[in-house]
Amino acid sequence: VRVVRLPWTRRLALAAAALLLATLFSSGARAADATASGDDTAQLFAAATTELHQGRPTEAIASFEALADRGLVDPVASYDRGLAYAQRVRIGAEVPGDLGRAAHGFEEARALSSDSALVDDATRALTVVRSEVARRRIRAGQPVEVDPGRSLARAVAGLVPEDAWFFVAAAASATFGVGLFVRRVGRGRRLRVGAGVAAGVAVPVLAVSIVMTLASRHDRLYLREAVVVSPGARPSSDQGIAQPGASPLAEGARVELLDSRGGWTRVRFGSLETWLDASTLRPIVRLD
Amino acid sequence: MIPRSRSPSRSPSRSHSHSPFPLFVISLLFCLLVPHASFAQSKPSIQVQVDQDTVGVGDVVHMQMTVTSSEAMPSDAQPGPAPGFVVHSPSSMPSQTHFNINGNQMDRFTLTVDWPLQAQKTGTFTLGPPTVVVGNTRFAPSGGITVRVLPAGQAPRHAQPQQPGGVDPFGLGFSPFDPWKQMFPGSQPGDPLGGQPSPTISSDPRLQLDSPRGNFYFIHATVDKTTAVVGEQIILSIYEYTDESLARVAIEASDAHEPQLADFSRRSLLKDDDRGIMAGTVSIGGRLWEVVLAHRWAIFPLRAGDLTIGAMSETLARPRAVSGAVRSTETLRLHVTEPPVAGRPPGYAIGDVGHFAVETQVTPRDVEQDAAVAVHVEVAGTGNVPPTIATPARDGVEWLTPEVHEQLAPIGHDTFGGKRTFDYVVRLHRSGDVDLGDITLPFWDPQKAAYDIARSPIGVVHVRPTSTGGVPGASPSGKGAQEALPDLPAQRDILENTRTSPRTHLDDSPLPWLLGIGFWPLAFGGVVAGGAAGRRLANAWRGRRASPAAELDRRVAAARSACSGDDPRAADAATARALEAAALARGGVSIRGAVGDEVLDRLVGAGVTRESAQRLAELLRSCESARFSPTAADVAAARDRWREAQRAIRELRRA
Repeated sequence: VRVVRLPWTRRLALAAAALLLATLFSSGARAADATASGDDTAQLFAAATTELHQGRPTEAIASFEALADRGLVDPVASYDRGLAYAQRVRIGAEVPGDLGRAAHGFEEARALSSDSALVDDATRALTVVRSEVARRRIRAGQPVEVDPGRSLARAVAGLVPEDAWFFVAAAASATFGVGLFVRRVGRGRRLRVGAGVAAGVAVPVLAVSIVMTLASRHDRLYLREAVVVSPGARPSSDQGIAQPGASPLAEGARVELLDSRGGWTRVRFGSLETWLDASTLRPIVRLD
Repeated sequence: MIPRSRSPSRSPSRSHSHSPFPLFVISLLFCLLVPHASFAQSKPSIQVQVDQDTVGVGDVVHMQMTVTSSEAMPSDAQPGPAPGFVVHSPSSMPSQTHFNINGNQMDRFTLTVDWPLQAQKTGTFTLGPPTVVVGNTRFAPSGGITVRVLPAGQAPRHAQPQQPGGVDPFGLGFSPFDPWKQMFPGSQPGDPLGGQPSPTISSDPRLQLDSPRGNFYFIHATVDKTTAVVGEQIILSIYEYTDESLARVAIEASDAHEPQLADFSRRSLLKDDDRGIMAGTVSIGGRLWEVVLAHRWAIFPLRAGDLTIGAMSETLARPRAVSGAVRSTETLRLHVTEPPVAGRPPGYAIGDVGHFAVETQVTPRDVEQDAAVAVHVEVAGTGNVPPTIATPARDGVEWLTPEVHEQLAPIGHDTFGGKRTFDYVVRLHRSGDVDLGDITLPFWDPQKAAYDIARSPIGVVHVRPTSTGGVPGASPSGKGAQEALPDLPAQRDILENTRTSPRTHLDDSPLPWLLGIGFWPLAFGGVVAGGAAGRRLANAWRGRRASPAAELDRRVAAARSACSGDDPRAADAATARALEAAALARGGVSIRGAVGDEVLDRLVGAGVTRESAQRLAELLRSCESARFSPTAADVAAARDRWREAQRAIRELRRA
């Protein structure tokens, strides 16, 4: 057997070529996988919307839930999923928890979407679902409160997007800085007075907008919310013992998640803080 | 306290199951108690099973087929091919049930046939599929049943048929024909006191242990796998090991604890879970131990995670030497995951694991509007048979809560399964041809490690308008339901798909905070502070330029420059000015204009040492003398004086 020894430069070139080929192959395979996954998701979504159009909500729900299992986070998918659950209630084939799951889909769509029309539709659908829940709770003699609303600070912070608060803060900061400068170096008396007033007004605006920016950021990073998806979400102690006389939380209610232990989750609903069975809650997915 | 005599009394508990009389009684009871489990339909429901899937040559395996039809009584059942087996004469049990639902008359015909098959040679054989005639058509289930035949005596032990005269038709645990028989040890064949041949040592590795876990008696737990998916069957076996030389073992009944299985659902794989079966005799630690399979459970994980099977414990009451001693099994840990998300079919419910088939029957298929039809759904298979199924929801179709019946039992030795039936009453509020859709059951098949879907179309029901004049296609009863959730917005068909990853925000980075918000106040502060600092710097600079030290430096530089030239007078003048500047900078006193001893006095008065002051005064005087001398001065002498002056200045600094 004759062993041919290649010069080191040629061996290096061969190794580099092999590495390049392997890299190209693996990246090509990854790209093919990603494309296949995307196609699969698109097909499943198309099937789900078709089933929903055809008035087959159970099949549509299965498809939308499969999309969620595969990690698709999209406001339209969440919104249509909510509609599928609502449609099942509407045609009289309701499964317990359908109203809560419908509300969850709409809440998630609102949280995810940047399309104002979709947000409006989801809000309208959410109102319809919660009205139905409230109607049923009135019949059952239970407290009607379905949505306690948000705290004042959180409501103000939610008036505009987080980036908008930041831009307001930046504008106020510029006004403040330029105002002080003009007041210092300006020649005319009117100019100096005007600059001083502008700087004085900019200070509280700057303070408020910075606080709102930070509050929005805190909510984005740390606030976790869920929707009650069961008609039997009974407030319990941290030992899992139902609180005597307490009515179940309304199906479709949006709650804040505070803590989790075993199969139990501590939530805040308005001023109420209690433990709920984790299976009665479905967290709202957020991309942020 | 439960006294437990040794193995022969606990092992043969399954022996009654093959006698035809109890089978008949059970089947009869089933037919009486579960009469509405299926309704008439052209295609019959056929179930085939064997009682053992591994037998030895000469052993008898029973193949049982149950056929249910709504058309006619099944007949002419044939076992199909049975290579390697001899088919003995079968026993068959026909039954008929009559129903009346909403005025609809229905009948169900059931035929159960049992074929004893005796194995003739070793190998793996496929039995059947058996066939049966319903109406004028012969039907057969899909696929046969595989049975493995081992050499005689090597097959796993099973309950032996009851000895002649030991028939227990009422399941009382003793024979009414000879009630005294079991009260006298040794009177039965196989009883240890009756003279039994020496035991054969089992080579089953599942029974072997490195050392005994206790004296005289101990228990041991094993599982067939340590990783599984949620809902997958895991076999948990509990073995009791008894020292063969021991005559009697008793357990404290009040202090026996079964294993903690909080995260599992449990079904027994033994026909009688209260009485174990002989597993063999093994040699451990130089002693012979009689091993009884006390429990064999199919357990199904209910959630994902690292799950624990707690120890089972028993307290010994006898023998007296170890009375009160506790024997417990090992604590077992299992890693349980969910089946993969990739390829998961829509509608899959976590926990639906096994292999299933779905059959549906609808009766009748032609009804009036607002009348009801019966939909019978049967889910059969092995594994964790789903307790619920999703029914297809349609407008104008109302599915009422189903009646659920189950026939779940061990299948062979290591598989649990059977069937669940769901009997729905479905009201049809819409006239026309109503397609009820399909029943689909996605499941994870652990054998194939893949998802599969069991599907059965329910089909179309023709709904006639009511005789009172219903409108075709209308669903009057659904009207009330439509009042719920009015005015829902329209669905959307295109994904928004704007983002696939978390959005970045301006305030996530410190740079926008610095540039966008901090810049302007900082810039203004910088301008104000910069102005003030500039002024302070200018003043300091000016002050520094007028200081005596700066003046000294300038004078020294000038003297050095002058000494390098050819003009001795200029050099002496520069040296003198340097000395005056040194006196001011280092001594803090001006000697300009001072004459004679006044220079010395001023310097000493300012704290300069007398020696240094005297030297500086002399140098100054010599410079002045040379400078104003009428004779031509010498440049070299001037340079010498400058060198001296430099030393004096340095010493003055030191002083």
